[in-house]
Amino acid sequence: MKKIAFLAFIVIALSSCTSEDASSTGNKETNFDRKAMMVNLADNIIIPAFEDLEVKLVQLNAARLEFTSNPNQANLEVMRGAWLEAYKTWQYVEMFNIGKAEEILYSFQMNIYPTNTTDIESNISSGSYDLTSANNNDAVGFPAVEYMMYGLATTDAGIVANYSTDANAASNIKYLEDLTNQMKALTSTVLNDWKSSYRATFVESTGNNATSAINMLVNDFIFYYEKGLRANKIGIPAGVFSNTALPDRVEGLYSKTNSKLLALESLQAVTNFFVGKAYGSGSNGLGYADYVDASTNVALSTMITDQLNTAGTRMGNLNNNLSQQVENDNSQMTMTYDDLQRAVILMKVDMLQVLNIAVDYVDADGD
Amino acid sequence: MKTRLNLLTVSCIALGAFYSCDDTDDIINPVNVEAPATYSFTRNNSTTVDFSGQTTRIEMSEVILDALLDNSLTEANIDGKFGHIQGSNDFSDPELNASDKSVRSKVAASVDYFGSNSTAAAAIKADFDGYIAQQVNEIFPVWNNTASKGVPGNLQQAGGGSIRYINGDGLEYNQAFAKALLGGLMTDQMLNNYLSPLVLDEADNRLDNDLEVLNTGKNYTTMEHKWDEAYGYLYGAEATPATPTLDQDSFLSEYLDRVEADGDFSGIAGDIYDAFKLGRAAIVAGDYELRDQQALIIRENVSKVIAVRAVFYLQAGKGDLATDKAKAFHALSEAYGFIYSLQFTREPNTNQPYFSRTEVQEMLNLLTANDGFWDVSAATLNQMSDQISSRFGFTTAQAAG
Repeated sequence: MKKIAFLAFIVIALSSCTSEDASSTGNKETNFDRKAMMVNLADNIIIPAFEDLEVKLVQLNAARLEFTSNPNQANLEVMRGAWLEAYKTWQYVEMFNIGKAEEILYSFQMNIYPTNTTDIESNISSGSYDLTSANNNDAVGFPAVEYMMYGLATTDAGIVANYSTDANAASNIKYLEDLTNQMKALTSTVLNDWKSSYRATFVESTGNNATSAINMLVNDFIFYYEKGLRANKIGIPAGVFSNTALPDRVEGLYSKTNSKLLALESLQAVTNFFVGKAYGSGSNGLGYADYVDASTNVALSTMITDQLNTAGTRMGNLNNNLSQQVENDNSQMTMTYDDLQRAVILMKVDMLQVLNIAVDYVDADGD
Repeated sequence: MKTRLNLLTVSCIALGAFYSCDDTDDIINPVNVEAPATYSFTRNNSTTVDFSGQTTRIEMSEVILDALLDNSLTEANIDGKFGHIQGSNDFSDPELNASDKSVRSKVAASVDYFGSNSTAAAAIKADFDGYIAQQVNEIFPVWNNTASKGVPGNLQQAGGGSIRYINGDGLEYNQAFAKALLGGLMTDQMLNNYLSPLVLDEADNRLDNDLEVLNTGKNYTTMEHKWDEAYGYLYGAEATPATPTLDQDSFLSEYLDRVEADGDFSGIAGDIYDAFKLGRAAIVAGDYELRDQQALIIRENVSKVIAVRAVFYLQAGKGDLATDKAKAFHALSEAYGFIYSLQFTREPNTNQPYFSRTEVQEMLNLLTANDGFWDVSAATLNQMSDQISSRFGFTTAQAAG
C-alpha cells in the first residue's frame, strides 16, 4: 500500500510536461514501437478471440438446434455446456468496445445482467419483438439464454417440458433460436469488420491523441476492468454501491455455479491483454505493460501484474457461486473488490499519467 | 454507462496540454495569489461556488439525530432517513425526499481511505446501522424506565436537567451516532476525499481548470467544485456561507465554534477559513502547490477539532462522575463519538489518520469495559486524554478548557 501511495504521489507531482525533470519523475524518452504493439494486439489477441467466440457461438447454435429438435435432459446439458464455453470466451472480447463493436453497442446486446425476465416473458408471449432495440438490451445475450436454459422452471424436467409439451413450446423455441442467432450474427459483424477494414485503421492509429485507437483502447480496457469486471461482477453484488448487498446481481445467476468462473476468466483476459499474451497460447508479444516499461523507470507494470495476481488469488478462494458467497461471508467479496480496486488506481491514475493519456470517460459522482 | 467525453472537449484538452508544455510558457512564476476578503468567487458576474449536496446531507443528518430520540419511530423509519433513496417518503420535507443524496452512501467513503478498502467501509457503515438498531430495539422499549448499572433506560441530570437515554454501559447511542457521523461523513469527505489530490486532480481536472472548461450547465470547473464541496461540509448550514458565523449545525460547524471559544485554541476558526479561501483562490490562479499547502492546514486543524473535543468530554465526564451520573454519561457518550471520529482525521503529509481504527477500537473497548461508564476510573479517562493530547501536540489541560 505504501508503495502504491508513493507512486501515486510522485505521479501526481509530475506535471503534464514530460520534458522537464525526467530524472525525478521516472519518465523517460521512449522509442517504443507502438505500431508493433497494435499489430500484436490485433493479430494475436483481439481477432483470434473474436474468431474463437464466433466458433463457440456456431457450436451453441448447433447445440440449441439439437435441443429444440429433440428436447431432453441430455441435449439440454449439451446446450448448457456450449453456452458456458461461449460465455467464457466472451470474457476475452467484452473489453474491446472499439470500432464496429462500439458503433453497434455490441456489448449491450450480449451481456447485460441482471436480465429482465418480465421483458423476456412478454417478448415470448407477444411473439413480436425487435431484439436489437435498446429496450431489449436486458432481454438478450448470454444472460437471457441462461434464463431460457435454467430459469424457465424450477426443475430440469420442467425446463425440457417448456420446449416440448408446454403450450408455449413453439414460442420458447423461437425466442431461444432468435437469441442465439442474434449473438452469432452480431459477433460475425464485428469480426468481419475487424478483418475487412478496421484492423488496417487500428494498427496505424498510434498517435497520442484522444481519437487514436491506441489511446481509446487503453481507455476501453480500464473502463472494462473498472465497470465490467470490478463493479458488475464483484462490487455490485457485494453491495459496495448500495445500502444492502445484492446477491441476485451476479453474472450467471440462474446457472448458479458459474459466476466465479466467469469472473476469473475475465480477470485472466485482462491480465493477458495487459502483458500482450497471445489468445489461446502462451507466447507473449508487445502489450501495454511493455509500453509502460518503455515510458518510465518505475516498476509500474510489475506492480500492476502483481496486483492483478493478488486479486486473482483472492477471487479464487471465493465460493463458485458468488451469490452464495455474498450470503455466507460478504467480507470475502469486499476484500476481493478492494484488491481489484487497487489495480484501478495503478492503471487509471499512474499508468495513464506515465503514458500521458487522458481518461476519455467519466463516472457520475453523485454530488 | 460510459460516456465518452465529446471530441471537442478532448481536443481542447489536448491543445491545452500542448500549450502548457511549451517550455517558454510553462514556468509558473509564483504570482502572489491573494485570497479575497470572503469566500466569494465569481465568473462573468455570477458565483462559481456551489455545494448544495453538502447542505442537503447536513440537513438529512440533523433529521436523523432528531429521529433517534423519537421513540414512535421504527428501525426501518430511521434506516430510511439514513440510507435515503430518491423519491422515498423518508422525510417530512418534500425537497429532501426528492433528493438523490444519501447520508449513508458517503459514510466512510473517501477516496484516500476507503477507495480500496470497501471492507473497512462496510464495517464502519455497520457500526452506524448498529447504533440505529440498538437505539430502537434496546432503548425505545425501556424509554420510561430508570437506568441502572447494566440496565438500559433513562437517567435525568441533577437539578431537573435533561433526560438521557442510555444503554447498560451508560452510553447514549444517539450521541455515539452523531459524533461518529461528524467524523465518518463530514470530516472523512472533506479531508480525505475532496481535499485529496486524487480527487482534485482526477482525470483532466488540472487542464480543464487551467483552460476554464466549465461543467456542463454550470459556472465552475470540476476542481473548483470539489474544493467547494469540502467547504460545504463545514459551512453548508450557514445562512450566508461566504461569511460564516459557525455553530450552525450539530457537527463540524458547532464544534469548531466550541474549540474556537477555548482561549488555548482561539484563531483556529480563522486559520481554517483563511486556508479555504486562499486554496480556492489558488485554484482560480492555477497555483496547485499553494492549493495543496492550504489543504494541509485544513487537514491539521479540522483533525484537531475532533481531538480537542474528545479530550474535553473525557475530562468533563470525569469531573461529573461522582456528582451527576447522567451529566457525566452524556459527556462520555460525546467523547465516545469523538474518539470514534479520530480514525477519519488526517495527519498532514501522510495518508493516515492520527489514530488508526484499531487504536480507536481499543480506546472504545476500554471505555465500555465491564460496566462501562458506571465503573470507568478517573485514571483511565486521564490516561486516554493524555494519549490523544500528546499525539496532537497539545495538553489535556488546554483541551479541558
